[in-house]
Amino acid sequence: MTPRLQFWLVLVLGIAGLYLFREMGPTNYAIGVLTRCLILAIVAIGLNILIGQAGLVSLGQAAIYGVGSYFAAWLALRAGFGFIPAVASGIVAASLVGAALAYPSVRVRGVYLAVITIAFGLIFQNVLIEWVPVTGGTLGLTGIPRGEAFGVRLTRQIYFWVAAGCLVFAFILQYNLTYSRYGRAMRATAQSANAASALGINVANTRMFAFVVSAALAGLAGGLYTFLNLFVNFETFTFFQSISFLLMVIFGGVGTLTGPLVGAGILTYVPELFQEFKEWQTFAYGAMLAIVMFVMPAGIVGSLGTLADRLTSKARSRQSGAWPAADALPKDTTKPSATGSLVADVKGYTIVFGGLTAVSQASMRVEAGKVHGLIGPNGAGKSSLLNLMSGFYTPTAGSMSLLGQDTTGWKAHDLARAGLARTFQNTELFGDMTVLENVLVGFHGHYKTTLIETLLRLPRFGREEKAMAAEAASLLALVGLSDYSDELAKNLPFGHQRRLEIARALATRPKLILLDEPAAGLTHGEIEQLKVLIRLLTERGVAVVLVEHHVDMVMSLSNEVTVLDYGEVIASGPAAQVQDDPRVMEAYFGSGAALEDMRKLAETAGAVA
Amino acid sequence: MEQVIQFILSGLSQGGVYALVAIGFYMMWSATHAANFTHGDVFMLGAVSTVVFGEIGVPLILAMPLGIAVSAVAGALIERIAVRPFNHGPSSIGWMLTTIAIGLMLESALTATYGPLGRPLYSPFAQSPIRIGGSGIYAQELLIPAVAIGLMVLLELFYRHTILGRAMLAVAANPTAAGLMGINVSRIALIAYAMAGAVGALGGILLAPVSEASSSMGALIGLKAFVVAIVAGISNARGVVIVSLGYGILEKFIEGYISTAARNSIGFGILILLLLAFPNGIFGKREVSKV
Repeated sequence: MTPRLQFWLVLVLGIAGLYLFREMGPTNYAIGVLTRCLILAIVAIGLNILIGQAGLVSLGQAAIYGVGSYFAAWLALRAGFGFIPAVASGIVAASLVGAALAYPSVRVRGVYLAVITIAFGLIFQNVLIEWVPVTGGTLGLTGIPRGEAFGVRLTRQIYFWVAAGCLVFAFILQYNLTYSRYGRAMRATAQSANAASALGINVANTRMFAFVVSAALAGLAGGLYTFLNLFVNFETFTFFQSISFLLMVIFGGVGTLTGPLVGAGILTYVPELFQEFKEWQTFAYGAMLAIVMFVMPAGIVGSLGTLADRLTSKARSRQSGAWPAADALPKDTTKPSATGSLVADVKGYTIVFGGLTAVSQASMRVEAGKVHGLIGPNGAGKSSLLNLMSGFYTPTAGSMSLLGQDTTGWKAHDLARAGLARTFQNTELFGDMTVLENVLVGFHGHYKTTLIETLLRLPRFGREEKAMAAEAASLLALVGLSDYSDELAKNLPFGHQRRLEIARALATRPKLILLDEPAAGLTHGEIEQLKVLIRLLTERGVAVVLVEHHVDMVMSLSNEVTVLDYGEVIASGPAAQVQDDPRVMEAYFGSGAALEDMRKLAETAGAVA
Repeated sequence: MEQVIQFILSGLSQGGVYALVAIGFYMMWSATHAANFTHGDVFMLGAVSTVVFGEIGVPLILAMPLGIAVSAVAGALIERIAVRPFNHGPSSIGWMLTTIAIGLMLESALTATYGPLGRPLYSPFAQSPIRIGGSGIYAQELLIPAVAIGLMVLLELFYRHTILGRAMLAVAANPTAAGLMGINVSRIALIAYAMAGAVGALGGILLAPVSEASSSMGALIGLKAFVVAIVAGISNARGVVIVSLGYGILEKFIEGYISTAARNSIGFGILILLLLAFPNGIFGKREVSKV
């Protein structure tokens, strides 16, 4: 089942189900319980975006939900706010709290967010209980007036539809976000933060955005809860409730569209069963979480989805096309600078790790339409220099300019947006995304559609998405992977993964591409094809920096070669000249007698060949 | 002045407890780049089982190592069952959830069987307070930070001068390379979690005579220790101990000058601000992402 079909099916069936429920003439109590369930599902959807898309965990979601709830309650009681402004303020407050928590914690490691959110949950409880004048202490805030919107009094009967409407909104938002560049960027950062930033994605901002979205939804749910219950106190927003939200998401199926709905449904009605366990109730929750993690880590919806896929999918063999298919290179991919013009100018780049100078005073000029080879023995600092140039390391000294702009010390994602692309020595694909999606992530910096347009699916979103998909398709054709576009990247054979990584890097429409050992692990035939592709790129005016151990490949392709040894540039110039440089020989083979032997050996080998 | 000394001394005691738990987080993190999220419950298990052993007539001198052993085994089991199968690389989150699940089960099972109330553990050092410059404190309370600091020194010697310790450092620096050098990375992880459990249990046992052993004693301390370890820079053992002790003192000053009720909110608030100022931890080195 395609996600689109699943989305519409659940949307239509869900609304129909709610309608039927109301037609059956349920008691006020039953309506209240289901309304609460709808509200909890909104929080679960937010948490599902955070966990399933961005790969981050919040263990304080109940507190964020509480911020929205208390804020709305306080404004309604003390400032006379109506339903809509109170709930809206709750959303804003929860989002701001979310941003404040995420900012310090997601810059370094995603795990930190989990720890910080638990801490926040405890602070929040503490404040709710102790700050009596504002929060009402343990008694909470009571006597909240029933809401009114557009002149309609929100009775329980009507409020049910308000909550249902908000849930439908959250469900649509989840779908629209997941299948857009924002969702892809989140999944990309979760699967490989390095590759994501090399494609122009600001990893910290993306994570923060994901958390703010989840906080906003929790805030919305909190406000709705306030006007359902008309009474709030600290007991609703405990750590235990946070775990319960987590359970909803995991139980339903992390990252699935409908998982949070299923999870919220189960977790609303299960506690009534758990009453019997008395003091073992918490234990039952823990056991439930453990059992799901061990037995069904994909959750209910996830497991069903896998089952359905297995039943319906027919194995089909895929054919990789000949590559590079020169005609397929999209015009947009390369808007070259004039051949020979200076693209990147590195001056005296140096980086020191502890006491070790990995790169010392390295300078390099890279010109449009030329291949610049970068060679040197193992540990010479080639990769470090590449990481410096692409912004993964911050230089200790030196400067760099890219297309005339001073880019010294820029971060990887900024450099990527300025026209620098790279591949990785050990391919870093987004394994759980499809081949096509991998390439689409590469376009991230080129989208013009705003967030609002994306969430509302305004016409420009569709047009742009279509155009990008077409360009991605031709990049896949270029590397001969058209037939694989809906396959998960992790299922590709190694040689194809290398090709995909190049296609993905080209999606950033680079002026300069750094290839870090692109031939490693490729067969002889594949290396020849790779050489054709590199020539094709330079013909279109792209500048290429090539780090390789296949010296003959470097020498045959490169216009210029720079040789590194012990972090220093020991030779630089046209390939032929560098090849005969005695210092280069020495670096590779040692000096004196050994070198003589090597020379003789090389001559004999040449004679035999 | 008297009051200040009192705050510092009892703060050091509190901080010593955080340190003994936080060192565990350091050990687990070094070995696996993951941790038992509810390590505080392993700390609690050590104290509670020592009390239980004592109650069934095991002499204290034997009950303590037994309690430590229980926690060490629990730590090792958690590593095998809950961490290893759910930890595949830096973006894994499964281990957080499984360890939380186990922590919830452990804590609630003990609340149901051992009882919700705390019980004291006898210690000869917690009978009558000693007076230092007008402020009274139990010797036991001073013992805690002393043990924490002593243990840190021992650990550093262990890491530097024993084969096992060096192997652990190697795994912390680069598990793949360490594995290629013939180090059994998975056994190192197991040992690290067992050691973390043992050190945590020691903290619990030292704390029990002054504030009783209960099933709920670990959750909050464990969490604070985790946050403290992160703020200190989780890859620096000495930094973790220093910040733990400092945080203990800070808490006592907040209690003394502001209010007991505000202790956690202000304390955590300060920790979050510190993380904002030092994203890699106060003593942490900036991690160079291997590309």
